[in-house]
Amino acid sequence: MSESVKLDRDEVLKIARLARLELDDAEVALFQDRLGRVLEYVRELNQVKTEKGASVKHVPRDAVSIREDRAIEFVDREALLSNAPAQIEDHFLVPTVIEQS
Amino acid sequence: MSLRDKYEAVIGLEVHAQLLTESKMFCGCKNAYGAPPNSQICPVCTGQPGTLPVINQFAVELGVRAALAIKAEIHQESIFARKNYFYPDLPKGYQISQYERPFCTQGKITIGLSDGSEKEIGITRIHFEEDAGKNIHKGDHTQVDLNRAGVPLIEIVSEPDMRTAEEAGQYLRTLRTLLRYANVTDGDMEKGNFRCDANISIRPRGQKEFGTKVELKNINSFKFVEKAVDYEIDRQIRATETGEAIVQQTRGWNSAKNVSEVMREKEDAHDYRYFAEPDLPPLVLSDKWIDEIKSELPELPDQKKARFESEYGLSGYDAGVLTASRDLANYYEGVAGASKDAKTSANWVMNELLGRLNAAGKDIVETPVSAKNLADLISKVQSGAISGKIAKTVFEEMFATSKTAESIIEAQGLKQISDPSALEPVVRKVMEANPGQVAGYKAGKVKLLGFFVGQVMKETKGQANPGLVNDIVKKLLDS
Ligand SMILES: [Zn+2]
Repeated sequence: MSESVKLDRDEVLKIARLARLELDDAEVALFQDRLGRVLEYVRELNQVKTEKGASVKHVPRDAVSIREDRAIEFVDREALLSNAPAQIEDHFLVPTVIEQS
Repeated sequence: MSLRDKYEAVIGLEVHAQLLTESKMFCGCKNAYGAPPNSQICPVCTGQPGTLPVINQFAVELGVRAALAIKAEIHQESIFARKNYFYPDLPKGYQISQYERPFCTQGKITIGLSDGSEKEIGITRIHFEEDAGKNIHKGDHTQVDLNRAGVPLIEIVSEPDMRTAEEAGQYLRTLRTLLRYANVTDGDMEKGNFRCDANISIRPRGQKEFGTKVELKNINSFKFVEKAVDYEIDRQIRATETGEAIVQQTRGWNSAKNVSEVMREKEDAHDYRYFAEPDLPPLVLSDKWIDEIKSELPELPDQKKARFESEYGLSGYDAGVLTASRDLANYYEGVAGASKDAKTSANWVMNELLGRLNAAGKDIVETPVSAKNLADLISKVQSGAISGKIAKTVFEEMFATSKTAESIIEAQGLKQISDPSALEPVVRKVMEANPGQVAGYKAGKVKLLGFFVGQVMKETKGQANPGLVNDIVKKLLDS
């Protein structure tokens, strides 16, 4: 690619905030460059001629994606609970959050 | 001029309804309320890496039923989208929803208002979604139950067509009735199966532009829909009148304090970064499939009401009352079918049963008097086994104890006395006790006939067959 895309500082901070990440100044600079490279890659993909091919926005429409409404129990819920960092009383334990939705 | 006349409110509602499926939207976990925490979870609905969602066919069919019930346009192709946000009850970090291309748009429902008028409320769209789990706040920590995560939902977004709290309340009730009729949702607000957010703004009457809207959340009971909406309208009017600007924000209804409180300001508004869900193909609804769903659509309120008028000969008003909910309509049909007297059945259900249920704060499904038992009671009046007056006493006892009419009549000896040889001595006794009235009757005061009939009814504690008493009194007085 010829010119490199660089995100401005505020854009990086906004994305970091949406991702619940705290970045220091060095990291902001790092991601201005890294996220820019992601955008560059997407721009490159956009140049591929796809008029004749299927849409790549989502998987093909004939993919198997529908099922009968039948309950099937998953037996190993312990495995799912233990995949989280902490548990309490059969619940996933997380730091206190303020209800907002 | 009151301030309410100076301003007009503009209200739109967003309703989330859980669908009555056996399993979740994209996995095989059970969709059931009240199970032990995290007992209905699997790798898909807990967002484990490498899992893929698979659409529940019946959930789609229920969504289409909802679309048919509100006479909306159904799109042959719709697309699932990811709504991205971080919250502990959303394990994937995104909710699968529909955004730019929902499966249903442009519906409408007609609501009835207390002044007798009707109003049509537009419905912008219905789309599919998966529910989030539940955060339980415990002071020093929060714990998460994911049983609800992935439960199928439809979100029904209305046009900003409502102008009063009453209209908002009626819209919500009518929509719920329709969806319950179509077996789409059980519509239980208290259990959170049916949830409502309101977008409310005010503007000076006559102004075309909308005012700044406030989103009101936590309206989780039918009991305070109107109260919550009314409070928010008043709050905005007061603020505007005192020169305070309305700010775009999300407020929550506090039903303990009867006020709305700020939940978040616009600066905190979510940036959901929607994009097409790459794990799911477009949802394709063929005409054939839609026709099949249409053919299985249960009878809706309007159709049922029309049928009650033609099949049972009920008035429009009576048919309307009896079709207010599917459960009530089924109950009525049970009584009418078993008693073979549609009109009398309607009177009993409307005049005796509904009033008592209301007073007791009970729904028809909690009625202590079964349809069969009420039909039996009606039959006993028809056959002359008991009088209409006694029947009301018996009914009261049936309502209080759930016992059958037969057992109450038996236990209390309330059977109607229709045997002339049992009644004649009573009539003679009454005549002997009232010689003055007997003389009066014979002298031409025929109206005294009613006096004698009344005395005999009193003597027999209302059990005498009044028609027969009338005949005997007349016969003996005239002889
Ligand atoms: Zn699951």
